[in-house]
Amino acid sequence: MSWDVIYENLGRYADGAGLTLMLTALALGISFFLSIGLALARNATQPLARGAVFIYTLVFRGTPLLIQLFLIYYGLAQFDLLRQSFLWPWLSSPLICVLIAFVLNTTAYTTEIFAGGLRHLPPGEIEAARAYGMSWWTQVRRILLPAMLTRSLSLYGNEAIMMLHATSLASTVTLMEITGVARNITLNYYIQFEPYVTAALIYLVLTSVLVCGFQLAEKRWGAYLQPRRS
Amino acid sequence: MKTRYRNVVAALAFTLSGAAFAAPITIATDATFPPFESIDANGKLVGYDVELMQAICEEAKLDCNIIAAAWEGMIPGLIARKYDALISQLTVTEARKKTVAFSDVYQIPSFRFVARKDAGLTLTPEGLKGKVIAVQTGTPMDAYITKNYTGSTIKRYSSGSEPYLELRAGRADVHLSYEAQIIHSFTSRDEGKDFELVGPTLTGKDAPEFGEGVAIAVRKANTELVGKINEGLAAVRANGRQAALDAKYFGAE
Repeated sequence: MSWDVIYENLGRYADGAGLTLMLTALALGISFFLSIGLALARNATQPLARGAVFIYTLVFRGTPLLIQLFLIYYGLAQFDLLRQSFLWPWLSSPLICVLIAFVLNTTAYTTEIFAGGLRHLPPGEIEAARAYGMSWWTQVRRILLPAMLTRSLSLYGNEAIMMLHATSLASTVTLMEITGVARNITLNYYIQFEPYVTAALIYLVLTSVLVCGFQLAEKRWGAYLQPRRS
Repeated sequence: MKTRYRNVVAALAFTLSGAAFAAPITIATDATFPPFESIDANGKLVGYDVELMQAICEEAKLDCNIIAAAWEGMIPGLIARKYDALISQLTVTEARKKTVAFSDVYQIPSFRFVARKDAGLTLTPEGLKGKVIAVQTGTPMDAYITKNYTGSTIKRYSSGSEPYLELRAGRADVHLSYEAQIIHSFTSRDEGKDFELVGPTLTGKDAPEFGEGVAIAVRKANTELVGKINEGLAAVRANGRQAALDAKYFGAE
């Protein structure tokens, strides 16, 4: 066993973990706000809005994230028009391409999670809000959003964990996150077990922190949804 | 009774020892590196290394099964006994010698930089400061660039073909690889018409990272296989089969 190699490279793993956390936080943060709007549109009465969101979620949930990432990173680079546009300084960056792919992908899943949360909202709550004379925006702010988010917490927690694990794909486009560091050590020291076990342990720790965070959030905001103990 | 058991065990041992010699040898190659190794339209492994290995196996009377494998798992896979040998333009370096055994060198590769025709780059560490250099990760090129070009941004790719996509996209300024591979995969094709080989030809004489040449890697303990491969290699040299492959792939006499 060559654990001394891992010890020598712990700094690189720390940098990799930092990048992994940054990618996860940014992707989830941006997609969270996008998903709220899209979830409302997904349950809207206008068929055009509903249909557009449905097609978007179908495409991004129906194709693998790796292919989406390659299409954005390598595919877009084929178009001269795009390469000569003002967008290219951003799109030439692997970090931006990875974020675009991750945000588009996780937003599609989160939209469906939130839309499902909205669909499970008891109609009585909306009727009561209307009876109070609440405007649509007030209903959204005070009734729909809190109910949607609390009902979706456990599923959203799973999506956050999936997103954390999906960041490992960033190494395919040169970003040195946890998996990228492990691969690099494998190639330079000709060992596979130790680098990947170390990477797995780091992911396990980060996942455990996420799980605990979501459990606390469920206790704090979702307690009223739990079945009552007699 | 004991004698009968002893006879059965002896017969089994004899059969198994025979089977061990007859078992096909698994040879791995990273099939993303034409003209040395790649997969053709029919899904067949082709290339200089593949044909050379087939010729070596024929001459050494070895039953060989050449398979495609991921670059990053090749040496660990060899050590873990997933493969018996590796042929994939593996350069003989001091670092690798500590881990695996090598056959005799069968080729001395030359390495070159490739860049856009109008780039006007100075290929010194100072000249490429702040520039983006693309390399295949875990290769001699990676080791050389990492050691010498500390002021540059180094982008590492898992296959030998991805850096060319990056050059075309403008995400990388320069790429270092095997000269023959650059010509075959890029500059001789329409996609690489705006690019050219730049700077001097580099070999193991210029930097230790480039190694002593390319050879076939085998597990350290498997000295018998190294011997057989060397026999086969000597035979393909002597009978002109390697020279014919050189002519076919590189236009060499």
